[in-house]
Amino acid sequence: MTSLDPIQVFRTEAAELFEQIETGLLDLLNDLSDQATIDAVFRGLHTLKGSGSMFGFEALAAFTHHCETAFDRVRKGQVPATAELVAAVLDAQDHMKALVSTPNGDHEEASNRLLAALQAAAGEPSAHATVVAAPLPKAVAAEPSKTGGKGFRITFRLPVNAMANGTNPLGLLDELQELGSCTVKADLSTVPTLDALEPTDLHIGWTLDLITDKGRDAIDDVFIFVMDDMELTVTELAPPAPAAAQEASAAAAPAPVAEVAAKADAPKAQAADAKHGAKQAENVRVPAERLDELMDRVGELVIAQSRLSQLAGSSADIHLRAVSEDVERLSGELRDTMMVLRMVPVGSLFGRFRRLVHDLARETGKVIELETEGETTEVDKTVIERLADPLVHLVRNSVDHGLEPPDERVASGKEKTGRVILSARQSGGEVIITIKDDGRGVNRERVRAKAEASGLIQPGQMLTDQELLQLIFQPGFSTAAQVTNLSGRGVGMDVVKKTVEALRGIIDIRSEPGRGSEISLRIPLTLAIIDGLLVRVGSGSYVIPLSAVEECLELSLEDDLRSRGRSFISLRDNLVPFLRLRELFETGTPPDRYQKMVVISTGDERVGLVVDQIIGDHQTVIKSMSKLHHDVVTFSGATILGDGNVALILDVTHLVAVGQQQEAHLRAAG
Amino acid sequence: MNVETVKHAFDHVWNGQDELSVLTFSLNGETFAIEAINVQEILDLLPETRVPGAKPFVAGVINFRGRVIPIADLRRAFGMEATEATIDSRIVVVELTLDGEPCLVGIRTDKVHEVTTLPRSAGEPPPIVGMRWRPDFIHCLVRRGSDFVIIPNLEVIFSTQPARAAA
Amino acid sequence: MSAHILTVDDSASIRMTTKIALTGAGYQVTEAVDGLDGLNKAKAGQFDLIVTDLNMPNMNGLSMIEALRKSAAHMGVPIIFLTTESDADMKSRAKAAGATGWITKPFDAEQLVKIAKKVLGK
Repeated sequence: MTSLDPIQVFRTEAAELFEQIETGLLDLLNDLSDQATIDAVFRGLHTLKGSGSMFGFEALAAFTHHCETAFDRVRKGQVPATAELVAAVLDAQDHMKALVSTPNGDHEEASNRLLAALQAAAGEPSAHATVVAAPLPKAVAAEPSKTGGKGFRITFRLPVNAMANGTNPLGLLDELQELGSCTVKADLSTVPTLDALEPTDLHIGWTLDLITDKGRDAIDDVFIFVMDDMELTVTELAPPAPAAAQEASAAAAPAPVAEVAAKADAPKAQAADAKHGAKQAENVRVPAERLDELMDRVGELVIAQSRLSQLAGSSADIHLRAVSEDVERLSGELRDTMMVLRMVPVGSLFGRFRRLVHDLARETGKVIELETEGETTEVDKTVIERLADPLVHLVRNSVDHGLEPPDERVASGKEKTGRVILSARQSGGEVIITIKDDGRGVNRERVRAKAEASGLIQPGQMLTDQELLQLIFQPGFSTAAQVTNLSGRGVGMDVVKKTVEALRGIIDIRSEPGRGSEISLRIPLTLAIIDGLLVRVGSGSYVIPLSAVEECLELSLEDDLRSRGRSFISLRDNLVPFLRLRELFETGTPPDRYQKMVVISTGDERVGLVVDQIIGDHQTVIKSMSKLHHDVVTFSGATILGDGNVALILDVTHLVAVGQQQEAHLRAAG
Repeated sequence: MNVETVKHAFDHVWNGQDELSVLTFSLNGETFAIEAINVQEILDLLPETRVPGAKPFVAGVINFRGRVIPIADLRRAFGMEATEATIDSRIVVVELTLDGEPCLVGIRTDKVHEVTTLPRSAGEPPPIVGMRWRPDFIHCLVRRGSDFVIIPNLEVIFSTQPARAAA
Repeated sequence: MSAHILTVDDSASIRMTTKIALTGAGYQVTEAVDGLDGLNKAKAGQFDLIVTDLNMPNMNGLSMIEALRKSAAHMGVPIIFLTTESDADMKSRAKAAGATGWITKPFDAEQLVKIAKKVLGK
């Protein structure tokens, strides 16, 4: 029901406008003379003011009005757009957000301060730098009518194009007649001859004698929309009744105004450039939960369909089979469409980092350039939502710990401007998001010292470079010698890692001392349905996400026996650790004679999973595990099979980690 | 565990009312009752999927109308022997509030009896001592004839799942 | 048959309020999200009144009004524009483009319905 509340809709809309304004402002920093962007920002402020005033956000409307005015001067070329002005409007915009979220708060002091700054930046006299949260003027309110019935003679002639422009003269006559009693006479003297007559033109004038208890204002109100372009004379008639109101002025209307040349000064359509145009494509806004509901239904359909396929498969009825194939195809297509519906471009996420980097640059005094690549890469909306906070942290981290101050950069022979590159690209069923900086890189000594101090590793413990780097993802780890304002906020790197893993993703870090760091997140494109490999272990069925599967092998009896106690297999000259799922799952069943090994990988690490049987590909609708099973880390979820039974989905990241531990143990044991 | 908390649990379940509408079922010869309002559905036994590594108290999951929900065995909480399923065995699906969120759980029962009304006057808090069950696992005992109906405190039972070792 | 009104505004909240006000008064309402959308919908349908914002992306209200007035089918259809500017400049430009009348934001449902009734006539 909340979606039917205009105020709620306004808040949502305001959030979008803020984003639009902010994007525009930040774009403007790249090219301060970009008129299209200036127009877009102005339009955003304008709409915000207009809608705000409609829904009782009067302080917002008043404040925004001043910002709009300042920006209008930029738009009209009266003052140049400057970085200071943009910064001032950005600050003002933050304040507007506060005015939306707490419209009744005490904002006056902040409003005045920000406006003063804004007006200083816009080179405006600060004379009227005070904001009063007064409502904007309401539309013309009719004055109380004057007393007594009066007579008026009204002579009027509408502009010749009035009818073409939608004014209905008969409507006006009706309105006048409603004011009292009247007689109407048409003046046809200027009607041209038939051959010269344009049917849409209006050449008739009228004269009315009106007796009304309403005043002159009421008459003017009738003509309100055409007043400026028409000929209108209103004269007060001699009092029809003994009692006469003498005070009324009998002044005639202003001299007839020449017909305005239509279309003469109308502005040309602003050619919306492709970039802006594309963003404004026609959209339907749907509450996210409805999409989720639809997703659930599609999920159930996929399950029902696979039951149907099984039935049809074991039936000799070719008609049933044909229908089943149709349903299979349709539900597959429906599923794909559904997936696409849930996809949103990563750009919507990247947008906010431009502001973040702008603010960080101001806070730290570092010179930073943010580059973004692959904004059009699309990802499931849930993924986007959950990645927002971790990415904020990573970008902060890059700026705060990675990039050096300008003089330090220059001293080490780098450009003064530090670069942070945020990029996204799709690779198979995954999206890879990287945050790269050209800063000083991770200081290994400091990481080691910190890890030793906090007991994460033994003093002097041998670690590979990658293992050392991975330490920064450990809970409670922070490399900053002093926690600065920036990185001190928000989540830690361990939370970043957890979030990514909860999305069935992988986080990797690479770092070169003196050259910079790169953190990459590999996240599955969607969370709801995956392609899986259905396997049997003992009497249970399990699903392995297909995206993690590298290959499937036979595990010969000899290999099995030979590897007892070692659990390694040689795969193209590499030793790959493997796990016997029968043992891990304590099935208590004897192994199948021809066991199979499914080799899965995350990044560069591989592990083999020994199963009894590979059943085949399975379209897997992911159901989350109950809270009561959150302690079970081997599985990332569950799914419902065609026969209605539940199969558990293996948590690839966890199993690879277990395999690697096993390898480490064996290595340690020699 | 003290008298106060037991008393509190007792008051909590009656919530100022004189009667409580419940579903009764039996488990290893004892009669249990669950507030009817929490009961979602009574199901015939369904194929269960074992969750390797899960605690024995919630060792498996079932497909409940397209949702994957855990199956709990209250016998584990009350230290009872496991018994074979019979033709009367049923799963009672209840909705619990765990950590402030609703959570569906199937509870295995030997037999479901009826929806009935228990009078508060016949109820008493569990004795602190002299009982073989953890007193905080029980909201209240209600006398019926020569016997007791046990109203288990599911929230406590489920939030302190018996660990693996206790099985 | 109740009159069919096309409302054109890029602001969802204004569209919603306008729609609530007009449907509440018994009118049938179709919505468009910007000038271009408005132009297309106006051309595709039969409307008794068009209520439009001026400041919109893609195609502003002025251009939409101009374009509509160029097509014979939309001559004479009343077009009311919403404006926050009380300055004469915007009004005269919109009128020159062919608008019938205006309503100044902020307005309430009553004011809007009154104006709709006025231009729709009896």
